[in-house]
Amino acid sequence: MIIDAPPDPSRRDFMKTVGVLGAAVGLSAGARASSASGAPTAADTASGEIPRRPLGRSGVEVSAIGVGGHHLGDLSTVDDAIRLVHEAVDSGITFFDNCWEYYNGKTENWLGRALRGRRDKVFLMTKVCTHGRSGRLAMQMLEQSLRRLGTDHLDLWQIHGIVYDNDPELAYAAGGVLEAFDQAKAQGKTRFVGFTGHKDPAFHLKMLALEYPFDTVQMPLNPFDAGFHSFEKQVLPEVNRRGMAALGMKSMGGTAWAVKNGVVTAEELLRYAMSLPVAVTICGMDSLDVLHQNVRIARGFAPMTAGEMDDVRARCAATAADGRYEPYKVSLRYDNPITRLPHGFPLDPTQREVKAMLAKGTGTWEPR
Amino acid sequence: MGAAIVAPRPPHVDDVEDPGRRRFLQAGLGAGAIAAAGSVARAAADTGSLDMTRTAPDAIPMKPLGRTGERVSILGLGGYHLGTVASVTEAIRLVHEAVDAGVTFFDNAWEYNGGRSEEWLGQALQGRRDKVFLMTKVCTHGRDRKTAMRQLEESLSRLRTDHLDLWQIHEVIYENDPDLHFAKGGVIQALDEAKKQGKIRFVGFTGHKSPAIHLKMLAHDYPFDSVQMPLNCFDGTYRSFEQLVLPDLEWRGIAALGMKSLGGDGQPILHGVVTAEEALRYAMSLPVATTISGIDSLAVLRQNVAIARGFTPMTAEDMQLLRARCAPFAADGHLELFKSTKRYDGGVGREQHGYPPSAEMPL
Repeated sequence: MIIDAPPDPSRRDFMKTVGVLGAAVGLSAGARASSASGAPTAADTASGEIPRRPLGRSGVEVSAIGVGGHHLGDLSTVDDAIRLVHEAVDSGITFFDNCWEYYNGKTENWLGRALRGRRDKVFLMTKVCTHGRSGRLAMQMLEQSLRRLGTDHLDLWQIHGIVYDNDPELAYAAGGVLEAFDQAKAQGKTRFVGFTGHKDPAFHLKMLALEYPFDTVQMPLNPFDAGFHSFEKQVLPEVNRRGMAALGMKSMGGTAWAVKNGVVTAEELLRYAMSLPVAVTICGMDSLDVLHQNVRIARGFAPMTAGEMDDVRARCAATAADGRYEPYKVSLRYDNPITRLPHGFPLDPTQREVKAMLAKGTGTWEPR
Repeated sequence: MGAAIVAPRPPHVDDVEDPGRRRFLQAGLGAGAIAAAGSVARAAADTGSLDMTRTAPDAIPMKPLGRTGERVSILGLGGYHLGTVASVTEAIRLVHEAVDAGVTFFDNAWEYNGGRSEEWLGQALQGRRDKVFLMTKVCTHGRDRKTAMRQLEESLSRLRTDHLDLWQIHEVIYENDPDLHFAKGGVIQALDEAKKQGKIRFVGFTGHKSPAIHLKMLAHDYPFDSVQMPLNCFDGTYRSFEQLVLPDLEWRGIAALGMKSLGGDGQPILHGVVTAEEALRYAMSLPVATTISGIDSLAVLRQNVAIARGFTPMTAEDMQLLRARCAPFAADGHLELFKSTKRYDGGVGREQHGYPPSAEMPL
């Protein structure tokens, strides 16, 4: 099924849409910023406001739920996106996620338009997509992201998709993306830096072990994860020990399959993710309904007790043991073609994103 | 072999409480840890090769099976593929030629091809049972001791023998499998019982998914005689059984049985990443008792027999070079789909766990 990528240069023009299924439901990260215990703070107990939490040791506070950038691109029109962003900001959400490669730049453009006049009210993050390529390329991507987002600086710039065994080596290589981090910070173009990935706790730990002073680390956190190749057990304590901020995503397991199957409710999943020691839970929100639901949960949020969390984990453990509810960990389909091509990995022509790339022949392989 | 080898005790075996977490931390923190584990495996490979013997200059070499006192051929015949050939006549011909060529290790499983693999091997081994080391696997996938004993009787009857040389727990690939197998009244008790009854001589387990799950099984300190796992030049740099499990087996004196030397489906060979000979030689150069090879034609049998007959272990340096050559291709797991996707997870096991069929999973 998987075949070699076409060797011709036109592959560079492929369009990218982020992992359909994978990114599909929701990136959700609940955050508890504690550099110490990570236990939910008093500020979390239902005050009627969306809780704010410290972003690691950065001195900055962010809202406990964030708006995922990918799903913003699922909306029908830019006006819908603008309405959703405005309403989110008005509701007290400050954390906004995005990524250079989402929807061929559409989601950064839309968010940029939505934030006109509101830039100062939010904590703005986007991600760089070198996937092993050079720091110079990263700086070009940064300029493009800034232009699209209509701002002169990011609050947070993260390496997107540490999902292959050799990604840490490539990131740390001389002339690589980490040198761009230093440069961008020195130039005042980003305040903080971090990395993301949905695949394997071992890769995250390798990134940390190589000791770059990241401010944030983004990862899938949900009760299925707790029993399967667990970021919660293996990476979260290490991130907190280092005083970095953990950013949670995929609180619904990437797809809401478990919710559809009646294993757990969406509210339980979001509350579980938010009850972990994270700064923010980034949620994919592709409609005002979902935004309203998540805002309601966040406003009424009181952390689960340890016992409640154990119960949810136990309920999920039996079905989580084969990775079914976290497909991004057990399938190559969630590794987007745009991440595979720079590595020289073959593409699967049956994958939706690959078909789209081949059909449209346009893409964000490199900044233009 | 096992007794002669001095290898440092891997630090994680003490960590019974939460083996997964500390091991991963070590692996992760560990450019150093990994290099160390690799060097243990390599040193052991050198030592292991000393135990290789041939009955004739062009015979398939034999190696000790851990501390059991048995010796087996370094090439084993995989049972799954035996059941995929066109007819029983062809299967018999394949087995006879393998035995005549000096292959002694025969693999099988209760669930392969609905029992056909065992049935055909049983027919082929009539009159030749004593010339081979016969293994099959039990497929409780979490069910109880009684189910295991029933499967054993079926396996013995299909294989037309009164005892197995080796009986292994098949496909330990889910996070909760070790718990299920070691639960009271589980398959481990069947292993004890069958040994006592003289129906099996040795016991082990197999799995293609995750080094962490293998280590969880080993952390129970049950006296397994063998452990089967994927070992190939891609594994060496991707969720590596070679780096994480093999040293532990060396330390414990348990026989390692390698499988999936060509990446499970031979794709790496077809794509020209390595040759079949390089891949097979690499697998055989590791400190394993045998490399079980899926053989579905006389042509493949003859190719693999020729490689085994002429086998000399690769040097540590050559192995390192091959791993390095493969590493950039291996990093996403597409050359070992049994680890990186659900594609190789058997239907019987999934059903037994209450998981939907692989076909319903994203691949």
